[in-house]
Amino acid sequence: MKKFLLPLLFLFLFLLESLFVQYLPAGLFGRNRIVAPHFLFAALLFLTIFVGKKQGIIYAAIFGLLFDIVYIEIIGIYFFLFPLITYLVSKIMQTMQANIFIAFLVSLFGIALLEVGVYEMYRLIHVTTLDFMSFINLRFYPTLIFNAAFIIIVGYPLKRQFEKHAEALRDE
Amino acid sequence: MPQFFLNKRLIILLVSIIVLVALIGFSLRERSKLSWPEQFVKDTTGWVQSLVSKPTNYVAGFFENLQDLQNTYEENKELKSRLENLVSLEAQVQELKKDNKDLRDILGEEKTLRDYEPLPATVIGRNPDRWHEMIIIDKGKLNGIKKNMAVVTANGLVGKVKSVTQFSSTVQLLSSTDPKNRISAIVQGKDDVYGLVEGYDNEKKLLMIKAIPSGSNIEKGQMVITSGLSDVFPKGLPIGKVVEVKPDQYGLNLTALVKPGADFYDIKSVIVTKKIMRQPDEKDLTGGKEEGS
Repeated sequence: MKKFLLPLLFLFLFLLESLFVQYLPAGLFGRNRIVAPHFLFAALLFLTIFVGKKQGIIYAAIFGLLFDIVYIEIIGIYFFLFPLITYLVSKIMQTMQANIFIAFLVSLFGIALLEVGVYEMYRLIHVTTLDFMSFINLRFYPTLIFNAAFIIIVGYPLKRQFEKHAEALRDE
Repeated sequence: MPQFFLNKRLIILLVSIIVLVALIGFSLRERSKLSWPEQFVKDTTGWVQSLVSKPTNYVAGFFENLQDLQNTYEENKELKSRLENLVSLEAQVQELKKDNKDLRDILGEEKTLRDYEPLPATVIGRNPDRWHEMIIIDKGKLNGIKKNMAVVTANGLVGKVKSVTQFSSTVQLLSSTDPKNRISAIVQGKDDVYGLVEGYDNEKKLLMIKAIPSGSNIEKGQMVITSGLSDVFPKGLPIGKVVEVKPDQYGLNLTALVKPGADFYDIKSVIVTKKIMRQPDEKDLTGGKEEGS
């Protein structure tokens, strides 16, 4: 049962993002702001920080691929960026202490990287024609603030859960 | 540079960039359908999504009902004022319908570009990354949905079917800024003016209708409907109302900004339209010369 806890948690966040976007009232954050939830990725980064690099990258690759197939229909965008940023975050964490405050800052940085990375990729393949400044104002700031709020709320329970998981791994 | 090739990380990075480009190239080309692993994954998650979305629908519906109750009084007032016009309009519509039918009988034409079979579907998911505006619905190939079919809500056109799997399909909304996402439309006036719905102004929340011949007479407030000239779109689905007209960047054509009738952010259930009128086969179009030989 414990084995399935982690995949189920990520699957739940994966579905929650879609439900969140679907049921969110359009005017909640203002008509001219686009807020993209990154619940799944925030949890993946927490996994990397508190459990381990290897696990983090494997989960990031699997769920990145799933994300691409189910939601985006362009395979490669999140499949590439999820593991890459997870790897970078694990590199950063090698020089830092894994406490909750650092985890918050680093995962927020990871989400910012993801947003910019996705934007640049979409510009490259002409999915969007938004210029950089409008992207920053329209989407980047609101998304970052929103996800920061999300991490603050779920950060501590997630940390506890992952630390328990890491201990169980060590005992085996 | 033997040391260069020994750097494991660099090689992994390079290989993954090559794989990335290959994968993106593979998924960006015009595909008539998804590959079977993709279909399998989409069907499986679609099943889970519909399991999850049904209870959420109930909960959300409950809160929405509460909100509706609050506005009942004002809504009632407004609706009553509209009701008076409705009666005369209804009589008119009846008359016109009968006229139309009689004339059609005389001509011997039974089916029109307008006729379609509605297939109701529930929205079970939406793309959370918000770059491509796409929704996932719970009806698929087995229910008779095909690629490129028009998808409407009660208020108007919302998009078209982008890909179909056995049990679910993905709908690309009009608000997504995909250059391939084009729909032939008519601006209704004294003379019908044809144009293409192409692109969406994200800041003003307006649709752009391009390729309208300059010199055509378009005014504010005119209705825009689908033209029915494509393979699978029926004619006469409402798209929205013209808000502004301006010349395009070269001054050769006009671009009309249109306020969409449907709200792209609040979609719970949709109707997929299946055009009834048979498409002429290629055989018919070539004049039947090959048939005899």
